[in-house]
Amino acid sequence: MSSVELRKVDKHYAGYHALKAIDLTIEKGEFVVMVGPSGCGKSTLLKTIAGLETINSGQVVINGRDVTREEPGDRGIAMVFQSYALYPHMTVAENMGFGLRMANRPKAEIDAAVKRAAQILRLEEQLGKRPKQLSGGQRQRVAIGRAITRSPEVFLFDEPLSNLDAALRTQMRVELSGLHAQLGSTMIYVTHDQVEAMTMADRIVVLNKGLIEQVGSPLKLYANPANLFVAGFLGAPRMNFIEARVESVSAPGVTLAAAGIPPFAMGGLDASGLAAGDAVTIGIRPENLRIVEQATAGTVTFPGEVRLVEHLGRETVLYLDASPLQATNSDSGTGNFTVQLNKVSPIGVGARMTAGFDLADAYLFGPDGRTLTRPKTIPST
Amino acid sequence: MPRFWRRNRHWMTPALLLLPGLVLFGLVILAASFETVWISLHDWDGIGAKTWVGLANYVELAEDPQFYVSLKNNIIWLLIFMLAPPIGLGFALIVNQKIRGMRILKSLFFVPLVLATVTVGVVFGWVYDPNYGLLQLIYGLFGGTTPALLSDENFATFAVAAAGLWPQIAFCMVLFLAGLNNLDEDLIGAGRVDGARGWRMLRHVVLPQLSQVGFIAIAVTVIGALRSFDMVAVMTTGGPYGSSTVLAYQMYEESIFSYRFGYGAAIATVLFVIMIAFIAWYLRGLLRAERSNA
Repeated sequence: MSSVELRKVDKHYAGYHALKAIDLTIEKGEFVVMVGPSGCGKSTLLKTIAGLETINSGQVVINGRDVTREEPGDRGIAMVFQSYALYPHMTVAENMGFGLRMANRPKAEIDAAVKRAAQILRLEEQLGKRPKQLSGGQRQRVAIGRAITRSPEVFLFDEPLSNLDAALRTQMRVELSGLHAQLGSTMIYVTHDQVEAMTMADRIVVLNKGLIEQVGSPLKLYANPANLFVAGFLGAPRMNFIEARVESVSAPGVTLAAAGIPPFAMGGLDASGLAAGDAVTIGIRPENLRIVEQATAGTVTFPGEVRLVEHLGRETVLYLDASPLQATNSDSGTGNFTVQLNKVSPIGVGARMTAGFDLADAYLFGPDGRTLTRPKTIPST
Repeated sequence: MPRFWRRNRHWMTPALLLLPGLVLFGLVILAASFETVWISLHDWDGIGAKTWVGLANYVELAEDPQFYVSLKNNIIWLLIFMLAPPIGLGFALIVNQKIRGMRILKSLFFVPLVLATVTVGVVFGWVYDPNYGLLQLIYGLFGGTTPALLSDENFATFAVAAAGLWPQIAFCMVLFLAGLNNLDEDLIGAGRVDGARGWRMLRHVVLPQLSQVGFIAIAVTVIGALRSFDMVAVMTTGGPYGSSTVLAYQMYEESIFSYRFGYGAAIATVLFVIMIAFIAWYLRGLLRAERSNA
């Protein structure tokens, strides 16, 4: 039996279509991360599961029970808020036990549940303190502890780590993954941070403008994005995009042309919907671009000048101006290409070089943004 | 000059900005208070020479039955006024619902705040009028006759304080409405997820967030009850037979009508001490609340 099921969930605000007929099934014990740019509806979707937002049509089913019209407290969920939302006038223990108290559980049971949660989260020393006496990380733990004591079917997390500093965020990420392994409960986690999504999720749900763009494991989404949006959203630095035109369509593939590179043939794709003259987009990840000495078969190359170098120690990121060839929709907002080298490189600003990529690594997106290249094989882990 | 200014502006800017307020406060509040205490130690008709009498005014006050009537009436005012914060909170909770047309209702509740207290007094004087007042109309529906509230020494204070309660409730409601607008939405959400609803949501999640506002509402209400004057002046002028007088009105009467400025100043001083005691208690509570809740 699935843990959470959304059936055609639709939500309008005044004049704004926030969620467009969302269908999603989440299995028991899954860790699902919902990502998307701000305003994509991910928080709204989480709040509709929680019952904090009503929906205009559709159904929310939790543990096989239709809870669409039920109050948040009756849905068998617990939620951790971005602001932590701890009750400032209650102690840590009272905060964590509040849900059970509202459920009229006996005091001994509440104490036991609070103690157990405090043990899991290493909060035993803090039980008598007020939230404002705690550090950000401790408050976050209390918020999680408050969720644990209710032993819910489903945990909901609304960007829980975004108020923490980088070091603490990494630590809490590891702790949350550990907690999920320990409790085995279903967890739904909303974030705009793709590192959190990639590292924690069993499955990622990518949302955009109130629609689900793609659902799948982190590696699947990274290797085989369903469309231009997912390809551009997952991965840092971002995928390079080149606007191109279809010269001709033949049986195995297409011949493409873009300003600045000679026309080349691309195979391994579904060209059935394409016709000569169509505007398409070529995508290539920064780590699949490399410096080439001379062109070989199956490689597309283009010369350029290095505009900026980022030495990150383990890797080097180059921003390459390849005019007249332009990268569109880039992170830097320029037409420069992003090249990621997995080593320390002595290349400096102003260096002229030739970059290239294997056609097997490239993606082709159709005029509607759909991915046309066939799925790439994911190295099994 | 510019160099002097650059060097000293870190303390001169706040000092200059504070100066007008400090001068006003010093003259109107501090100097006047000291002068009042000073006058209370004299026998003075307000025009001629002051005669030093020491504590004689206070001794007389301690034996003046009218003083105790005033004090008792002030306490009645205080008790009746203490209804304003809870009733105001109730109205605020009702008016705060997201229902169409609630805005109009909200602004109707503000009306008594716009009216001058004297106007409220006059209007309620008409309401209480036993011949043609609103109260008589209501009593008349059940075939009864209104007691003449304002001319009955047992009811006069209650009737006047009840009239004063009306704008006070509106004032408390506005305070609580502002507080309700500042509620932390995530906290309410957390409460709902935790299964709190209705009374328990109010008690455990909403009210604690209103504690600061509540404290201000109570303090302002207490001060309002203690310095009540204009309603008494307009509705009963302290009558009948001084039975609805309060300290502030008695002070006014002794000073202005009996030309006994020294005695009036003694009453004012006593009222002042009561208020200071209350304000000290209030500030202590406020600081403590801030320390435990910020």
